[in-house]
Parts: sequence; structure tokens; C-alpha cells
Amino acid sequence: MTMTVYLYICLAALLATTFVFLALRRRKSVIGLDQARSLMDSLDLAAFRNLIDPEEEAFLQSRLPTDQFRKIKRERTWAALAYVRDLSRIALEFSRFAHAVQTSSDPRLAELGRQMAYGAVSLRLLALQATGRLFVAATFPALSPRRPDSLLDQYARSTGLVMRYGMLESAQKRAA
Amino acid sequence: MTHWYNYLLFYLWIAPHLVLLAVAIFLLKQRLFSEFPMFVLYTWYEIAEFLLLFTIAISRLNHGSWYLHTYLVTLAISTALRFGVIQEIFNHIFREHGPVDALARTSLRWITVALLLVAVGCAILTSPQSFGNLFAGAAWIGRGIAIIQCGLLLFLFLFSSLFGIALQSYVFGIALGFGILSSVELVQWALSTTDLSPSMARALNLLPTAGYHVAVVLWLAYLLVPAKQILQPSIVPAEGPGVGIDGWNSELERFLQ
Repeated sequence: MTMTVYLYICLAALLATTFVFLALRRRKSVIGLDQARSLMDSLDLAAFRNLIDPEEEAFLQSRLPTDQFRKIKRERTWAALAYVRDLSRIALEFSRFAHAVQTSSDPRLAELGRQMAYGAVSLRLLALQATGRLFVAATFPALSPRRPDSLLDQYARSTGLVMRYGMLESAQKRAA
Repeated sequence: MTHWYNYLLFYLWIAPHLVLLAVAIFLLKQRLFSEFPMFVLYTWYEIAEFLLLFTIAISRLNHGSWYLHTYLVTLAISTALRFGVIQEIFNHIFREHGPVDALARTSLRWITVALLLVAVGCAILTSPQSFGNLFAGAAWIGRGIAIIQCGLLLFLFLFSSLFGIALQSYVFGIALGFGILSSVELVQWALSTTDLSPSMARALNLLPTAGYHVAVVLWLAYLLVPAKQILQPSIVPAEGPGVGIDGWNSELERFLQ
């Protein structure tokens, strides 16, 4: 057998192992409502808003020399990027949580799960886009990235849906 | 040895198609043909293909290259259907996810082009000595197709996990089955054009049907085992004291504190 054939066998074995690994990883547990709440609490939205605030940036630009402003701007963008990464991770957990809710046998909960899933997936997409934009802005401070307002709006919608689910769950527990 | 080998050969040829028949019947009973028309078509096509090839193999029709030609033609149709099933899985997973759906479609197109280039590159680097042999040519193409299908399925899994999209149990099972099947076929096609010892060649003969067996068992298992109910609530109580608007308000107040 030639070297190429061995390479094909290794490639196929690697692929098959990956597929089996993905099947096993699928059993990974989904976060609960309390964990979803603590994730929401862990994100300091006020600090994040401050970091991406154009007025704040304009104020710094008017007060600082150009070199120092660029340095500060770069540091602020890196900090904002860390927040967006956290937000992206939260979106991923929300998405898993929502997809689990979707499997509920109760049609109302399943529908709420569907809405949550749609919101969480959109949030994740926006977070990934914002990550890319902020990364470019951190590398090239002269560029001004678009303010990720839609990301914050989507986050508010998603957390609202998670809270709604929490209320439904609590109401059910109290009624039981 | 030959005795056992023949038993195993026939078992691995017949048994997966009996399991596949169970899959096909289950799909019809669960009315999944409206959701997965291409996969339903694929299962019935595979059963028909098996019946045709099995009849040719055991009857007197099996002379000359009759079997080989029929096998290659049916394989080509089967491969086309598999691409259809992969597309169907993609559509099914991302259709409810608005903006991600558009991204998935675009990415799928580009990934397909990239994988096609990889397959062509691999084919050029490892071209067979002669195309005079029909089977060598088929192996050359089959290897490329296996690379593309493996890549597409891997992309499907990675892209869905990037967005935390949980695949429904049977959708995951179908994709996983095709993934394993494509991996096995990649080995089979890669080995089929090399000089192997008779015992190795006999073992290789069992590889695709064994892989197929694993795939159909996975399809059936994932269809039969319902998706795990991960979350506890199943019933939202009817409106009642403390549960209606007042209950909601008190819960909202508790949240806002």
C-alpha cells in the first residue's frame, strides 16, 4: 500500500472518530434556569455600554493627545471585545437551553422555546459579527466600528424571553 | 473460513436492507415523508437497488460485466440522492433560524466549492495508472465524492454547534449515519485500487456493507428513541387563583427586585 492510501485511512479514521465524538458530546447537559439567570447577572451591561459609547469616545478624543487617545481607544476596544465574547458565550448557552425547552410536550412552552431559540441564535450571530468588527477596530484604532445597538436590543429581547420562561415555571411550581 | 466468510458476506448484504426496510416503514408510519421526502425516497430506492442487485447476483443474469455496470449505475443515483438528503438536512435544521439560515446556505455553497477543489486536488495527486479499468475510474470518482460528503456533514455538525442548535434526535441520527458511511466509503475507495493480499481483499469486501449496517442501525435507533425531555415542565397550569395576572405580576415584581 502506498503512503497516500495510509493517509486516506488516517483521514477516514479521524473523520469517523470526530462523528462519534460529536454524538457523545451531544449528551452534554444543558444549563438550567438558575444558571441562565446567573449568566445574565454576570454581564455588566452598563460597563459595556460605556465602552462602546460614541459620546464617551468623542469626549476622550477632545481631551487627549492623538497618540494617547489611540492607545486608550485600543484598550477600550479590547475590553469591549471581552464583553462581546462573554455575550456570545451566553447566547450559545441560551440557544442550547431554548432548544431543550422546544422539546417540551406542552405546546405553549415549545412555542416559547422556539422564540427563545430564534432570539438566541440571532444574538449569537450578532455577537460573532460584533466580535469580528471589534477585533478589526482593536487592531486598527483609526477605524470606528459601528455601534452594536442591535446586539444589545437582541440581548434584551432574549433575556426577556428567558425571564418569561422563568415566570411560567415559577407559576407552575406554585400551582402544584 | 470460506464457509463463515460467505455467511458473513450474505448477512452484511441482506441484514442492513431489512433494517432499512424497518426504517422506511417507520418513516411512512410517522408521516415523516412530508418533512424528509428525499430521505424517504433514498431508503426505498436503496431497498429497490438491493433487490435488483441481489437478483442479478443469485440468478443466471450474473455473467460478464452485467452486475458491475448495474452496480455502478445504481451507485451513481444513490450518491446523487445522498447529496439531496444532506441538502434536506441543512434546510430542515436552519429553516427556523432566520438570518442564520441565509448564512448557512451561503456557507454551504462555498464549502461545497472548496471541498470539490480538495477532491479534485486529491484525485489529481493520486490518479490511477489507467482509466481503462472501469472500476478504477469509479473508485477515483467515489473517493472524491466521499471526501465531499464527509466534509459537508462535518461542516453541518460544526456549524450547528457554533450556534448551539440542537438537532432533533432523528435528524442527528440521519446525519451521523451518513457521516460514518461516508468515512467508511472513503477507506473502501482508497483501498480498492491498491494491490492487496487475497485475505485483505476479502476483508475489504465486507467493509462497505459493515459500514452501511452501522449507519442503518443508527438511523433506526435514533428514529425509535424519542428525544430526551431535558426540561421538567410539561404542563402549564390553567388559570386559577394565584396563577393568573396576579401571579404573573408577583413573579415579575420578584424578578425586578
